Formats: sequence, C-alpha cells, structure tokens
Amino acid sequence: MATAPKTATATIDNGRSQSGFAAALKKALLSALVALVLFSLMIGVRTEAGSTGQLIYWTRFTELAGVVAAVFAGSLILELLRSWLGPFDAAGLIPASAEQPLKTAQRLFPLALLAFTLVFPVIFYDQRYILDLGILVLTYVMLGWGLNVVVGLAGLLDLGYVAFYAVGAYSYALLATTFGLSFWICLPLAGILAAFWGVLLGFPVLRLKGDYLAIVTLAFGEIIRLVLINWQSLTGGPNGITGVPRPSFFGIPLTPGDDGFAARFGLEFSPTHRVVFLYYLILALALLTNWVTIRLRRLPIGRAWEAMREDEVACRALGINITTTKLTAFATGAMFGGFAGAFFATRQGFISPESFTFHESALVLAIVVLGGMGSQLGVALAALVMIGGFELFRDFEQYRMLVFGLAMVALMVWRPRGLVGHREATVFLHHRTEISAELSREGRG
Amino acid sequence: MTAPLLAIHGLQAAYGKIVALKGVDIEIRPREIVALIGANGAGKSTLMMSVFGRPRARAGRIEFDGHDITDLSTHDIARMRIAQSPEGRRIFPRMSVAENLQMGADATEGSEAERRASLDRVMALFPRLKERLTQRGGTLSGGEQQMLAIGRALMSRPRLLMLDEPSLGLAPLIAKQIFEAIRTLNKQDGLAVLIVEQNANHALRLAHRGYVLVNGLITLSGTGTELLQRPEVRAAYLEGGRH
Repeated sequence: MATAPKTATATIDNGRSQSGFAAALKKALLSALVALVLFSLMIGVRTEAGSTGQLIYWTRFTELAGVVAAVFAGSLILELLRSWLGPFDAAGLIPASAEQPLKTAQRLFPLALLAFTLVFPVIFYDQRYILDLGILVLTYVMLGWGLNVVVGLAGLLDLGYVAFYAVGAYSYALLATTFGLSFWICLPLAGILAAFWGVLLGFPVLRLKGDYLAIVTLAFGEIIRLVLINWQSLTGGPNGITGVPRPSFFGIPLTPGDDGFAARFGLEFSPTHRVVFLYYLILALALLTNWVTIRLRRLPIGRAWEAMREDEVACRALGINITTTKLTAFATGAMFGGFAGAFFATRQGFISPESFTFHESALVLAIVVLGGMGSQLGVALAALVMIGGFELFRDFEQYRMLVFGLAMVALMVWRPRGLVGHREATVFLHHRTEISAELSREGRG
Repeated sequence: MTAPLLAIHGLQAAYGKIVALKGVDIEIRPREIVALIGANGAGKSTLMMSVFGRPRARAGRIEFDGHDITDLSTHDIARMRIAQSPEGRRIFPRMSVAENLQMGADATEGSEAERRASLDRVMALFPRLKERLTQRGGTLSGGEQQMLAIGRALMSRPRLLMLDEPSLGLAPLIAKQIFEAIRTLNKQDGLAVLIVEQNANHALRLAHRGYVLVNGLITLSGTGTELLQRPEVRAAYLEGGRH
C-alpha cells in the first residue's frame, strides 16, 4: 500500500530534477565565472618584490583552473542536492515515532548543558587552559545575553555594546584602586553606572531606527574608547589601569597567606582555587542575566520590548510608552554589560582601552545574531561555538577566519534565523486543550 | 441630545508642508457607530491618527469625554481607553495570538477578572482566534489578522473603538463577519465606534451616522441611510466604478 504513492512521488521528483539539472548547471557556470574573475588576479598571478625592488610576477594558471573547477563542481553538487531534496522540511525527515523523544530531548538539552557547566571545573580541575577557556566562553555568553535584551528582544541594533562593557570594567577598576572598595560593592555600582550610560545613549537615539541607530551606537562605542585613551589623568590613557584587585571569596582573599581561603578552609593552597572561583562567579552572573531576562519576558515590560521590535506604531496605539520602553531596554542591556565588564577587570587584573575595540561589539553581536535573535539557548550555543571555535583553530591562525567565514555562509544558507530560530511564547491565556492534530490523525477531527 | 464622547473642532493636520486636514469638525456620541468615508488620500486615516496625536493637530481641539486630549502623548491618549485597529492591522507577527491579545491589555489598568472577561468577549466574538491562540500572529490569514487587530484593541476595554479600513483586502464573506462583529459590539456592549472605510456601502449601512471627507474637509454629513441615498455619495463612492 505504501509503495504506490512512493513511486508516484519518485516520478514527479525525476521530472523536477530534469529541469533542475539545467538550472543547476547554469548556476554552477555562473559561480565558476565569478570565481574566475575573482581569482584570476588573486591566484592566477603571483607577484613579489625582486632583490632590487623590481616587480617579479609569474602566472599560476593550473592552480587557477583547479580552484575554478572546484567552485563549479561544488556549486553543481550543492544545487543538485538542493533540487533533489526539495525545500528543506524537517517534518518530513523526522519519523513520527521519533517526534516525542526528540521533543523530550529538546527540553532536557538546556538542563544537561547547565549540569555540565556546573561540574565543568570539577572535570577539568587540572587543566588550567580549559578552565580559562570556560571562563572566556561564559563571559561572552553573559555579554551575548545582555546584548540580546537590546538587539534580540527590543530589536534595537546596537553596535556599541562594548562601551558598557568598558564602563563596567573602568568603574570597578577605578573605584577599587582609588577608594579601595571591594568587588562586591563595586559590582552593583558598575552595573548602575553602565545602566546610567545606557540611558544617556538612549535619549539621543530615541527617534532612530535600524541603520541610523546602528551608526550612532557605533560612534558611541568609539567615543567611550577615545575618552578612555585620552583622559590620561583619570584612566591612565593607553597604559590602562594595573593592579586591579582580585575578587575575594565573600571577604576572604584567595591568597596563600594565613587568612587566605585555603588556610581558613584547611586546604592546601593552589592558584586553581581562584580560577575555579572566577568560573563560578561568571557562571552565576551569566545565569542571573538569563534568569532576569526570562522573568522580564513574562512581564509587561518584556512583552513591550518584543512588541516594540515588531511594530512601534502599533505599540504606541496600544498605550505603550515607547520612550520608557526603549530606555529600559538600553539600561537593562547596559547593566549586564557593566557586570560583565567588572568581572573582566577583576579577572584580568589589568585593563586598557585596547580590550574595548569595535571588534568586541561585532563579536558579541555576531553571537546574538548567529544564536537566533532573542533565543537564550541559541546565544549560549553561539558563544560556545564562536569563542570555543576560535580557540580550537588557534593553531591554524591563518585559516581560522576562512573557516569562520565558511561557517557563517553555511549557517545563513541552512539556518537563516540563527541556530535556535524558534521563539518561545510567554503567554498562555487558556490551558492548552488537546491538540487538534492528534484528533485528526485518529480520524476524529 | 447626549454630550459627545469624542468631539473634534476645526482640526487641521499636516505632514510637513502637505496639509491633510483643513479644519474638520466631527462628533461621536456614546453608543454610536460613525462612518467616515472618502476617497484615497482624502485624509481619513490622518483624521483617525491625529486623534492619537500622530500627526499632531496644527490647529483645532480634540476632546474626549469632556477632556482636552489635543496635546496628550499617544500612549496617554490610548490609556484614556480609546482603542484602534490601525491601517494595515499592524499585529505583532512573531508573537503568538495570545501575546498579541495580552499586549492590548498590558497598558491599561484593570484587574485580572476584567482582563479575563474581555478575553472571553473577544473569544466569543471571534471563535477563530480561540483555535489559534498559540499560533504566531504572522501565520494567520488576512481576515484572522483583522480579527486579531480588533480583538487586541478590545482587550483594553475601550470606550471608543476606531477602525481603519477593517474590510480592506478581505473576502466579502469575511468582511461581512467583521462588520457583523462590530454591530454586535455596539448593540450588546454599547461600544462607540468610528469606522473609516472606502467600502462606503457597507460602512454606511452599519453606521448610525456618517461623514464624507473630501480633500481634508467634511463635505457631507447625516445618518447612514440619508447619506446612502444622496446622489453625490452614490455617484462618487457607490456606483463610481460602474459608470
């Protein structure tokens, strides 16, 4: 019984792939042509400076032909695969029997990930490098989650997020070095100061949207960095601030001395204690960010952020105050950036404007976009993939941007909405009734 | 005669140098459906939006329930419980139907019981929305999106509902359902409605009174049936396409 419709679809598929082949061939030829033009100078001609400074060049037509052929073949295969598989349809690929366990797995995955991050320092206790990498990844997870409030939820394209990271870092560093305040007092202060700067940025850009907003925020990020470089008397200029105090374990310093953490708890001193402590500190901060974001999304303010992303005019007409909605989004995002900045300062012990370039903003934004705007899990995964990926390819320094670019293209082709493009609804006005699809499958609906 | 719920006196509005409204007077009394008809570009949507302060009135006065709302900000005007279903519906496409409806209730004060009551009202009016509560707004059909836009407006328990071209682009049957729902709301809940329409026939038959807007000025007004019979209305808005 099942074979009859299958042969029918097979014939249809054949028909489609026939016409598809010509189209694929055309596309592949076009790609090859573009590759030929592009690479004729990049690969086809090799130039070098001779011993007396004169230009030496020679041609490499075999290599050029090879690359163009590879592009042609690759493009052809890709197009043919696409036309054979048809539009990508997850529903058709996953058998019905696997749907339920898959859903459970999807639900359990974040929990498993969380459990793994909790025991991570225990597993890798002896591997300092892995621990440091974990801290780095978590810092970016936190930054991603913070920026996600602004970009993912409120839909305000912010290219200067690093400014708040910098404000947080310098707030802590300056408060701690000048007034000797402890990390735990400075942490909220750094957040508040960053939030204040968020509001300050928010005011002038209230009327801006999209590209224009992006440009102004980009400029804002640069302004903060330039001020940090040039205000020598306060920030130390390009030399930065050294000797930023390390965090204490709730007042107990993590030092080898008699009143240190190890001595108090009867442990043998080890520098790893501090690394593990820093790990749990950033994990707690990141989880706080996540928890607050999830809570806010269920409150009217979070809903207003998302609605504002969708349609500002409609929001106004529904009585939403766009000014406060935008400013709170900027302030909330900036506050988390400030927390992360304070953590960064205490971890490094040294900060300088060099750490707060546009590159950081772009990286965090890439994490948010790749993760799927607004998805918490997606952002975490994207941070893991990007930061972890960068580290993995550290040995192949020359190729890592190449791999990164390829990965970006692949992602845009297959998952244009980001790793986790699915958006979790937050309002359920009624309890879900029995799903009608299930009734119809049984022939009742 | 009862005091008007919404009274607009000598309203002028403009987009930069282009004057869209040149001194409009309109009244909507409680429990009344008022239709505003006119050709494309006559200023119908501008009139509706300038009640919400966008664009802001250049001259004239807008009063709601005796309060001057001419200079209030848009969200404060909305919080006086004037709701609108804007031109092009403007639902939130990536948010679920339930979230869209909740957004309507978020900015207005009200108890949980009141919210639930208005939700039940919306569900009773548009049973289709009930089936689609968990669906994303953007996946709804045009008619369902219009229902959602009206439902979202109703969630704020409005005293005046303003609808901009609710039948635009809808199948006649669906448009009829929408008009029927508006009639029900007016009859059973006593809701005052301002309806802006190009579909003059439908709108005037539904409305108690109507205004005709031409180039930013009111040229005619009267009861719905009166206007339907006026030869100039018939020629311009009802049989225009057939001649």
